[in-house]
Amino acid sequence: MDGAGQPNLRVTIIAADGLYKRDVFRFPDPFAVATVNGEQTRTTSVIKKTLNPYWNESFDMRVTEESVLAVQIFDQKKFKKKDQGFLGVINVRIGSVIDLDAGGDEMLTRDLKKSNDNMVVHGKLILNLSTNLATPINPPAQGPPTNRPSVSAHSSVNGLPAQGMATPVPQQSAPSLHPDTYPGNRNPIPTQPTPQRLSQPTPVAPPNSLPPPHSANGAQPRSGPGFSAFEDAQGRLPPGWERREDHLGRTYYVDHNTRQTTWIRPGAGFNEADQRTALAAQTQVERTRHQNRMLPEDRTGANSPTLSDRQPSPPGGTANAVSMMATGATTAGTGELPSGWEQRHTPEGRAYFVDHNTRTTTWVDPRRQQYIRMYGGQNANNSTIQQQPVSQLGPLPSGWEMRLTNTARVYFVDHNTKTTTWDDPRLPSSLDQNVPQYKRDFRRKLIYFRSQPALRIVSGQCHVKVRRTHIFEDSYHEIMRQSAADLKKRLMIKFDGEDGLDYGGLSREFFFLLSHEMFNPFYCLFEYSAHDNYTLQINPHSGINPEHLNYFKFIGRVVGLAIFHRRFLDAFFIGAFYKMILRKKVALQDMEGVDADFHRNLEWMLNNDITDALELTFSTEDERFGETVSIELKPGGEEIEVTNENKREYVDLITEWRIEKRVEEQFSAFISGFHELIPADLVNVFDERELELLIGGIADIDVDDWKKHTDYRGYTENDEVIANFWKCIRSWDAEQKSRLLQFATGTSRIPVNGFKDLQGSDGPRRFTIEKAGEPNQLPKSHTCFNRLDLPPYKSFDALNGKLTIAVEETVGFGQE
Amino acid sequence: MAAARKRILKEYTECSNDTPPGMKINFDEQNMTEWEILMDGPEQSVYSGGHFKLRLTFPNEYPFKPPVVSFKTKIYHPNISNDDKGSMCLGMLRPDAWKPPNKVISVLHLVRTLLIEPNVDDAIEASIAGEFKDNKKGFEKTAKEWVKQYAK
Repeated sequence: MDGAGQPNLRVTIIAADGLYKRDVFRFPDPFAVATVNGEQTRTTSVIKKTLNPYWNESFDMRVTEESVLAVQIFDQKKFKKKDQGFLGVINVRIGSVIDLDAGGDEMLTRDLKKSNDNMVVHGKLILNLSTNLATPINPPAQGPPTNRPSVSAHSSVNGLPAQGMATPVPQQSAPSLHPDTYPGNRNPIPTQPTPQRLSQPTPVAPPNSLPPPHSANGAQPRSGPGFSAFEDAQGRLPPGWERREDHLGRTYYVDHNTRQTTWIRPGAGFNEADQRTALAAQTQVERTRHQNRMLPEDRTGANSPTLSDRQPSPPGGTANAVSMMATGATTAGTGELPSGWEQRHTPEGRAYFVDHNTRTTTWVDPRRQQYIRMYGGQNANNSTIQQQPVSQLGPLPSGWEMRLTNTARVYFVDHNTKTTTWDDPRLPSSLDQNVPQYKRDFRRKLIYFRSQPALRIVSGQCHVKVRRTHIFEDSYHEIMRQSAADLKKRLMIKFDGEDGLDYGGLSREFFFLLSHEMFNPFYCLFEYSAHDNYTLQINPHSGINPEHLNYFKFIGRVVGLAIFHRRFLDAFFIGAFYKMILRKKVALQDMEGVDADFHRNLEWMLNNDITDALELTFSTEDERFGETVSIELKPGGEEIEVTNENKREYVDLITEWRIEKRVEEQFSAFISGFHELIPADLVNVFDERELELLIGGIADIDVDDWKKHTDYRGYTENDEVIANFWKCIRSWDAEQKSRLLQFATGTSRIPVNGFKDLQGSDGPRRFTIEKAGEPNQLPKSHTCFNRLDLPPYKSFDALNGKLTIAVEETVGFGQE
Repeated sequence: MAAARKRILKEYTECSNDTPPGMKINFDEQNMTEWEILMDGPEQSVYSGGHFKLRLTFPNEYPFKPPVVSFKTKIYHPNISNDDKGSMCLGMLRPDAWKPPNKVISVLHLVRTLLIEPNVDDAIEASIAGEFKDNKKGFEKTAKEWVKQYAK
């Protein structure tokens, strides 16, 4: 039934470009179906996993001027399942493009259109129509003929019999995350139009010619005629690498071999083995850092040893002293261990204790009564743990009772609130004279926070089994299928194919690996902020993945899960993100971490007369999938002029929009997942800086490295003030150092390779101390430039005092 | 519809009333955030006789972010990137130097001035800037050749 008479038109379906990606984790397997007036169906081969399929296949068909040629694109994987997988259609009336009598040869590029069901469609289709049928026909570009799907029998594709119900195709509700279908070959910012892509003749092969070199992996150049995404001025990138730009125009490189992104161009002497080794080494550094993070109240937390730890502890006495402080280590006890307890030794010979009843480890010898720790002297190098028996603390507060568990562990019952806690209510305040006020506050907040019934581990176990190679996919399914109540049971992580019980080490590794995956900008859920190239923010264009809200909910659950089970994520966010979690209103100063130039010009607007200068209304623009839309900042805003009188309101509204409203959907999905584990009213005891520490932990900062990569303006390294500054920093503990780093740089995160890689909003920015201000004033900071304005204080004590106050009392990021 | 629509319209009026010599602005009311500018090489410059096509793009954040100027016609100049973008980023066009009250008309004047007198201290193409300083004859020769080859 292939039309009447001899074919008179050769239709060559050359390629499609920029198809819509319905799943974030897999690419479609596109094929094209051509029909003339709904008949003479012709089908191309299937091109695997690409948004830019290249077929270059020709079909001879019978047409008249009135015939309508329709070419539809489908995803073969989905096509098998009913009529899903539609990727677009074009309709061409033959007479409008070619004169059949005169003959001709026409190359057409058409935007793909939606069908009736209104599914989103992207991209273009390139085809050639020719009346010259004399030359031999094009063979399929690639793929064996068995790849050719049958159009007439949906359920019998690839020889699967249609009869019977015995072989239903499993329906997957969530997109699958196969590593071989990662989202490559795609501009991660869907809104950047790439108008040159098809208007340039280069990527499109004329019919009957060889495919262009890029077509092997189905990619197209995306940056104009100069360079494809696989080369630049320095030449071609190594195989599997792609050059991209992010939302701020910063160039980065995607390694599709390892699914990694990096800011550093793979060099000329690039060697895959070397690169893998380097990558593994970097991950190891990150892992060590991650495992060394801690919180002041962690007794059995990050720093306690674990059965599965193969990691040697960092060398050096300081680290040990710090971890001693963090974990409340004690000297050896005497007598028999309680039932279910076991004493073991780290590879370094340090004793620790395993409680098989609760499957926890601790440095604290259970045979000893609970001892009280005091943070000793001013110098971290010789800090010691001072201990006092509990009995010296005096009576418990009214309504409190001390009890022992069946493993002889002390706990406390508060009959006033009907709650129990491991933490001694007599502990804080009176005994911590040497500890700065803010520290005691954070510790007390932690004690309070963790003692709340909602944050107590419930009985039973929560098993999560994942493959290291599929950690995002597996975790998503494992964590989303469980109820929030189940997730509050003791977390037991198991890596597929590996031995080892989760006594802490495995779950630490789990959160480490998972945070590297789920926040990877590769997946378009999060992106790096304008502040530097490692703090994260929600990608406003994450909607490119139709499932993105489920993933944000999942990520919210994971962040909550980590806090609940006292593990850290290896992820740091812009200050505003923490404020949003705490339901605090974002302010103009939060803009600095999001977009420094925008922030500066909003400040300018507030400080200057804007009459007749700006011509603004209460509206703004956003790009949604390539389309620019206008957004009113308040009802009727497009008609309301911004004047000197109302500019403050404008600044508030535009700030709120840029930071919150744009990612409102994503954030509410995230926070709904988060709140399933961490109630809002409990996490609200922290401020945004403390929340950063709670989620990411406190790093043990290397002051030598910090000092080595510090610049001075107005000071020299030999000045007494500077000497005092470093002396002061060295005397501080890990939390206080982190707080200073937050104050000066906006985040407590340190680049993987140390301070030499510190980034500012405009590229690498070393930590800088500038001579500014009067000795009676407090230090100030410019987080955009990683700069601390330090007045020339006369003495060590003056400097220590002022710096402590500045770091302690200033809450909120961006101290400009 | 651009949020800064009114402002851009006003600026266009300003520019058309006082277009810098040798410049022509192609303004499309349907797409007013992208101006096409045709510019003759200034007579007193090595670019004399050339016809250059420029694109001026207003970002969504305009006027809080500077407009983006790019040469669509290839040009040999120390302040214009010698790649497919032909971009220009100096002086007031730097994102960290831009101020909201700055006007496009000043941008156009800046572009013209730079063709007459390149700013070698703020060059994007260091090798061209070096040649301009050390071997002006050689620079002028190449610049003129490029005009013949690309900008006729």
